[in-house]
Amino acid sequence: METISLKIPASPVYLQIVRLVAAGLATRLKFTLDDIEDLKIAVDEMSAYFTGANGREGTIEIRFSVHGDSLEISGAGHFASGEKVRTDLTEFSRMILETVADSATLEQMDGTPTFSLVKSKAQ
Amino acid sequence: MNERATLSKDEVRSLFTAYRAAPESEQTQLRARLVDQHIGLVEFLARRFRNRGEPLEDLVQVGTIGLLKAIERFDLDREVEFSTYATPTIVGELKRHFRDKGWAVRVPRRLQELHLELTKVVGHLGQDLGRSPTVAEIAQTMGTTEETVLEGLEIAQAYNFTSLDAPLDTDEGGTTSFADQLGEDDEHLENLEYRASLAPEMAKLPERERRILYLRFFKGLTQSEIADKLDISQMHVSRLLNRTLANLRHALEEE
Repeated sequence: METISLKIPASPVYLQIVRLVAAGLATRLKFTLDDIEDLKIAVDEMSAYFTGANGREGTIEIRFSVHGDSLEISGAGHFASGEKVRTDLTEFSRMILETVADSATLEQMDGTPTFSLVKSKAQ
Repeated sequence: MNERATLSKDEVRSLFTAYRAAPESEQTQLRARLVDQHIGLVEFLARRFRNRGEPLEDLVQVGTIGLLKAIERFDLDREVEFSTYATPTIVGELKRHFRDKGWAVRVPRRLQELHLELTKVVGHLGQDLGRSPTVAEIAQTMGTTEETVLEGLEIAQAYNFTSLDAPLDTDEGGTTSFADQLGEDDEHLENLEYRASLAPEMAKLPERERRILYLRFFKGLTQSEIADKLDISQMHVSRLLNRTLANLRHALEEE
């Protein structure tokens, strides 16, 4: 299993880089364009919980792991003490993520907000 | 160019009179008819700007906003024909788009061309293959690298559109075919709105954006399938979808 990590400031400005890395890895796995677009939507949807619309004080660590034909993307947010981050998916997010990813979770793990996304190549 | 009958000058005036006099509940429909009547003019004017690196369908959308402004401002007491009156407003909107909001100033020419080429290639390949193409296939067809393709796809999201900032229902002019397909779908749409507790934000969306959202997340159609159904490019679907989702996220967060 190969893993790539990125650490970005918790701002939507840097999500483009996360999307590009995700799309690059998906390209290596020969995802179709539709699946790549879905993957990017999933990344945006999840990351939005951490960055908010205008950014937060802190960083997000994102790991990309390739398992056979599927790509797992996980994120952990490290925020300044004043920042409040919700760690339960809205119903709308859940609906979106069910459509664009194979699995998606958002939770608080040992006090750190984390997310995980898995998307496999269409058969 | 359209199947609908073109109204005479006098009929257009009557339609305006009816629109001005109509109760609020009927205004949307009458406005849509006015837009419908003049969408040909918008397309004609938009075509004059198409060599500047933006897809024609996007320009028509911008021009439609100008048309809507002209409809609101047109003074029936004037002798001038509406199309004569509307032309400078529509052209003004298109020019402003390029000046303020367009990517002409922000995105290098090379990337604009890349985006246009990508839109074309993705459409053709999708039809030839009968499925969504891979990045490798797109790169090969274009004679470029996978990296360049990825860059081009990402850029598609980077440039601004005006549709979501526009007044409600602006899309009706260019998209009458969507209205025809509604009907039974409406029920599900309402259900979707309810389920997601998003009613106010969903209701604010232009019809096309709402429909794309519905087809993707409620009906499970892929972006390519939606592109086929609505007769726009997959890149355009992707852009509209991403922007709509970003706006909804923003709206929800502010609650």
